[in-house]
Amino acid sequence: MTVTNELVRMEHINKCFGLVQALNDVSVMVHRQEIVGLLGDNGAGKSTLIKILSGALTADSGTIHMNGSEVHIRNPVDAIDHGIETIYQDSALVTQLSIARNLFLGREPLVGPHFLNRMDQEAMNALSRELLKQVGITKDISPTTPISSLSGGERQAVAIARALHFKSELIILDEPTNNLGVEETQAVLRFIRNARDSGSSCIFIAHNIYHVFQVVDRIVVLRRGRKVADDIDPKQTTIEDVERVITGLNNHAGPHRAWEDGECGDADDA
Amino acid sequence: MGLISFLKKLTARSEFGPFVLLVVEFIVFTALEPKFVSVTNISNLLAFTPELGIIALGMTMLMTSGEFDLSVGSVFGFAAVVMWTLYNESVTPFGVACLIALALAVVVGFANGWFVTILKIPSFLVTLGMMLVVRGSALYLTDGFPQRIWKTDNLLTRLIAGDFCIGGIRIHATVLWFILIAAILGYVLTQAKLGNWILAVGGNSVSALARGVRVGRTKIMLFMLTSVLAAFAGIASSIRVQTANPNSGTGYELEVIAMVVIGGTALTGGRGTIIGTILGVLILRSMRNGIVMIGVPGLAYNIFIGAIILGMMALHSSLERRHHRGT
Repeated sequence: MTVTNELVRMEHINKCFGLVQALNDVSVMVHRQEIVGLLGDNGAGKSTLIKILSGALTADSGTIHMNGSEVHIRNPVDAIDHGIETIYQDSALVTQLSIARNLFLGREPLVGPHFLNRMDQEAMNALSRELLKQVGITKDISPTTPISSLSGGERQAVAIARALHFKSELIILDEPTNNLGVEETQAVLRFIRNARDSGSSCIFIAHNIYHVFQVVDRIVVLRRGRKVADDIDPKQTTIEDVERVITGLNNHAGPHRAWEDGECGDADDA
Repeated sequence: MGLISFLKKLTARSEFGPFVLLVVEFIVFTALEPKFVSVTNISNLLAFTPELGIIALGMTMLMTSGEFDLSVGSVFGFAAVVMWTLYNESVTPFGVACLIALALAVVVGFANGWFVTILKIPSFLVTLGMMLVVRGSALYLTDGFPQRIWKTDNLLTRLIAGDFCIGGIRIHATVLWFILIAAILGYVLTQAKLGNWILAVGGNSVSALARGVRVGRTKIMLFMLTSVLAAFAGIASSIRVQTANPNSGTGYELEVIAMVVIGGTALTGGRGTIIGTILGVLILRSMRNGIVMIGVPGLAYNIFIGAIILGMMALHSSLERRHHRGT
């Protein structure tokens, strides 16, 4: 891989919650137009890692680089400004507002004299229609429809459309297929592929390894706050193999090592 | 076909229910007592209605953002008392006294907003406390007695609460103020970026915050707006009735909240309508007026108001369920 092909690099990330070391010297890198699957058992540190990247948490130590230069992400707005968009399982949309109003929330296009602060609702609606098509919603849904009338899959599509429109370079999907039906899940997986084809990279977190296998280019595995694998190619492995890496019951990951249980505070001293 | 879809759209609007209720109310009252639509009665109706209405407009914006303010009634009484005390004691000229009263209301609103957004205390508790503090201040300031008002007539009083007649109907300046403020706030809520933020803050403040919406600032601003509009209404009212009673405005907070929710604004935030509030204001005021006119004992008024609130809430929630299936 060339250096220019690198989008995000998180290096030596540590995070403690009290005495629990949620992340222990984790380094993860994502290339441009790459879908990375982040896997791990409950409590492995997946959520903590992506929360640090999306600004919901800050790391105790470690650095984050975007496009080769170091960035400081202190809150969700910083993350969005750096082109990192996070889509949670509940989509984080305002259900009472229309699709168009949600898509442009916080970055409403204005029209007319500045002091009137008037939203360009025509442009918002036109762009929304365009974006919905782009993420693959073929059903004719008006941009003025409130989110509360949409299905779970359609809501995820709206969230992804928002990420696409604001040229998010990295889209983090945290369990986006939870609570979705079979067809809706397929639609979300399709949106993820479309997002990559439009130039974004994705980090995809899901409990369901089958969903991960269907879309990702590379799999990163966390176990007990440490990275145990980061170059698994889903085309050359089986789900069973990956499951073994996740649970730590495989042979070539080596026996259980003492440092894996290292307590907070002294882990870095060596 | 076009007409049917137009009607469908019309009936789907949350303002449709209150609109029908208002029309029915007018028809029933007029049928029972033709004097209900007489020039004198319409003039009466238009004297006091905009004063409560102006508070309701501010409350609509605040409630759309998911908060409410129980201190508006106290501010209504307090502002007038402060202004007339300063003016009567010749401490300041009239205009300055008026500005000080409004500025104090802004401070009250800011304090409400600060407690709610920074200390994260529910607005019910914060504004309940503020209601007592402000009412107490008004009573203390006046020793509990109404402020005498020497007949004051200057450009400012005429601008705030003057009146003129059109075809025998006495129009107070407050009616024009009400229309002007309603137009501005209606525009903000439906067209402006700020309106989108207010709706988003009330709908899901966590998502709004994640999108870069300044949730705290928006709420504090709306608390200040509500408070200053309540003060303005109190000042206008005191000029019209030529007295400033430290107890005036008692109970207005609940009547105003009732007007707002009857119009279709959600108490929990995320949904708000200025047109609905205008209808809600007219419904409750003409109900009070009409009931007395047709000879129902005035004490029974609250039975009707309560029934209207319950009926409207049932209607709004069933409409909500019909139009937004899921969640």
